[in-house]
Amino acid sequence: MLRPNKKPAGAYRASGPMSANLSALLKPPRTRPYTVMGMMTVMLRGKPHGGTNYTRGAFGRQAQSSILPGLPLFRLSPTFGIPDVSDRFFRPPNKGHPCYSSRMSAVPSKMPLQGLFGEYTAGPFYDEMFAAPDEPRPHYAKIFQKLARMMPSQFEECRKHADLSFLLQGITFTVYSDGRGTERLFPFDLIPRIIPNSEWQRIDRGLAQRVVALNLFLQDVYGKQRIFADRQIPRALVYSCKHFMREVIGIEVPRGIHTHICGIDLVRDSKTGEFCVLEDNVRTPSGISYVLENRAVMMRTFPDAFQAYEVLPVNHYPAELARILRSISPRGGDDAQIVLLTPGIFNSAYFEHSFLAQQMGIELVEGRDLIVDGGIVYMKTIHGLTRVDVIYRRVDDEFLDSLTFRRDSVLGVPGLMGAYRAGNVALANAVGNGVADDKAIYAYVPTFIRYYLGEDPILRSVDTYLCSKRDDLAYVLEHLSELVVKTVGESGGYGMLMGPTASRERIDEFHRQIQADPRNYIAQPVVPLSRVPSYDPALECIAGRHVDLRPYCLYDGENVTIVPGGLTRVALQAGSLVVNSSQGGGSKDTWILRGED
Amino acid sequence: MLSRIAESLFWLSRYIERAEYTARILDVNFHTLLEQSRDRYRLRWEPLIVMAGEEERFRRIYDEANARAVFEFLAFRQDNPSSITQCIAKARENARTIRDCISREMWEDLNGLYFTVNRFNPAEEMEAGPHRFCDAIRFGSHRFHGVTDATLPHDEGWEFLRIGWFIERAEMTARLVDVQYHALYDAPAEIGGSDNHQWMAVLKSVGAYEAYHKKYHSSIDPEKVAEMLIMHPLHPRSIRFSMTEVQSGLRAISGTGSGSYANEAERLTGKVLERLRYDRIHEIFKLGLHSYLNDLLRMCGSIGEDIARSYFYYAVVA
Repeated sequence: MLRPNKKPAGAYRASGPMSANLSALLKPPRTRPYTVMGMMTVMLRGKPHGGTNYTRGAFGRQAQSSILPGLPLFRLSPTFGIPDVSDRFFRPPNKGHPCYSSRMSAVPSKMPLQGLFGEYTAGPFYDEMFAAPDEPRPHYAKIFQKLARMMPSQFEECRKHADLSFLLQGITFTVYSDGRGTERLFPFDLIPRIIPNSEWQRIDRGLAQRVVALNLFLQDVYGKQRIFADRQIPRALVYSCKHFMREVIGIEVPRGIHTHICGIDLVRDSKTGEFCVLEDNVRTPSGISYVLENRAVMMRTFPDAFQAYEVLPVNHYPAELARILRSISPRGGDDAQIVLLTPGIFNSAYFEHSFLAQQMGIELVEGRDLIVDGGIVYMKTIHGLTRVDVIYRRVDDEFLDSLTFRRDSVLGVPGLMGAYRAGNVALANAVGNGVADDKAIYAYVPTFIRYYLGEDPILRSVDTYLCSKRDDLAYVLEHLSELVVKTVGESGGYGMLMGPTASRERIDEFHRQIQADPRNYIAQPVVPLSRVPSYDPALECIAGRHVDLRPYCLYDGENVTIVPGGLTRVALQAGSLVVNSSQGGGSKDTWILRGED
Repeated sequence: MLSRIAESLFWLSRYIERAEYTARILDVNFHTLLEQSRDRYRLRWEPLIVMAGEEERFRRIYDEANARAVFEFLAFRQDNPSSITQCIAKARENARTIRDCISREMWEDLNGLYFTVNRFNPAEEMEAGPHRFCDAIRFGSHRFHGVTDATLPHDEGWEFLRIGWFIERAEMTARLVDVQYHALYDAPAEIGGSDNHQWMAVLKSVGAYEAYHKKYHSSIDPEKVAEMLIMHPLHPRSIRFSMTEVQSGLRAISGTGSGSYANEAERLTGKVLERLRYDRIHEIFKLGLHSYLNDLLRMCGSIGEDIARSYFYYAVVA
């Protein structure tokens, strides 16, 4: 008898597309896994579930949940035995729920700190909510009053509602360290980060200026290379960048756009209170899905706060991105076939890929879905090959084409670069962008702005020492314990030395590494990041936590569109300055106000 | 529609149907045996393993095919790729890769089913018997199909779900009939032939017991049971009904009208259906039921391969 999962190899793949590779990668535990519970325990931060009985033998009983007290965690109806998740997770909070009770009203802006704020202190940092102890800044006054009136238990309930909402929608990233590919929530802090309009206007202009300059730099460096002739930046520095791609020199990209999507990391320096640029991300910046989902969850959790404030919307991002992708189609016209190329389900940002594809109504493809024939990219559909015009790729340069870059890559499409070079397919972002967000090149971005645009930079950059320069190197090696050292080609908070908090051994280790390969390192003074009050579940009160801000900029060749706000990442560990999600960071909803408060 | 997505949809519903069918057979078999004498156990449990096509694996793990071993093997074993929990897990993984192409409610429902299945404690369930576990699977599958039907546009993707669902069902029914006849007719005379309880169990496992009585107004006759399960035009678990669904799914995808075919899969489906329509059950018995059903299963296998060849796989372009 022929069983589907016993078919001879070669004729017809044995048991469905997922089974073979997945069973190898997602090896199920030998004993009966209580996966849900395991995942939930991890994902819902806060107190452990305290020996509730739902893990074993809860069937038929109503297991009490510590997530929503009084409600069963998974209510199993005796007949169906299916967790009745939908009606419970999405029903509006109970009548006594704090989102109804603590209405906002005109209360004097000065009130003693109490309740959730406990013994809140701003510390030696710029506090975004408080101008002085007990005195919230005008644009935070209303949210402060709301929070100050809430009991910790009420806030906790709101928080759990929000977390559940993320969990149910599967807004998760995958952690591989446990060998099972557990899905985890990206921690979300309910206290919004608020920026008044006038301040945002300046950021907006500054970012737009920077994006245009970076794009001009990329055009130039892969084109005529005027900037070397004019001696603005050493050619050797650019050519030695890890992500500089000789393979794309001379390729003319559609409409001259290299940086379709940029995520530029900003921080507010406590010393000046001003925003400055910490890092550019012009390859495949991720996180926008969190911006959109954070907003959706906030609107459900604190609807009255949105009535009290006029917050600029963010949800036009997918439509705007789709418009730009359509505009770079080599064949022109409105019916361009656009696809989002993902490395696949095991990528930590897979949720975002599938979210964006769905929001834009484009096909989500993997490398194996595409094929290049005669310099044209096609996707394999059930009715034959369909030509692809634009690829929004979330696969890194090195993996795009095994014929041009890494031979061992199975994530990309062999021959893709040929089609790209021939102008038969457009890629967003362009290949080779990594040179512009190299941490050594970062030091030259103000130069680019002056050189290409003849303007002064609106947003300040952080002072940067290039270890490849002899004087800088000497200074850095002298002052390692005061500086932040970064490896130039890395991102995501990897390969970093935080001088002031590092151990002697680690400093010595970096000392050796820098001496061995100075070009690979830069150093910056430690920027004392501003803080925003954030909820600390362990302390059950609000405490100051350091934040950064990553706005997402879309460039259509003429205008830069920036979704108001962006992703505010927060270092949830007390005292930590590292906000990357891979290093234990969380996020906040960012509110740009229509006015000043 | 991308070939990869079509393939995932096809297998997604196939796995769910396999899980449901296995659950049905387990459940009914168990309860029928409660009324039977002990010495018949061996005879009744072994066919289930044969049906799942996992005899070899089963023998490696267990000495004897008793209720407990078979239940554990078919429901919970991680190392049995056809076990119910494995089928549900694979269905979910298929769904996960194509989340942007199925409705959100489908994903949440299937995700919930997966969580439910994983929450069962095998030791406890084996004490309690398979009923509540199997019930959860059965209704989980029904619910998923309901949600799918009500929330997914009935486009090509939906057709692939339907094809996977019914081709699996046709195969499972064919195997069920084949294995049961084999076991009963090859058994010594005092056990075989007129064992009505076992045939009632077969009918109940496919939910056709009441329908049988309505149609035949007679006591359980093995030949009629076979006729019902193989050739009934409207019973949703008969092979003929299932193959009709497969045919209309295939035609909807290729846009072929009746009386013609666009690919090998459609040709074979038409051929199978022709036989199911015009053969008589006593002719089939005369020629040998076993070879007839085996033929049918081979054809189903080829249809699956041809669907893959027509829609899922591309020859490598050098």
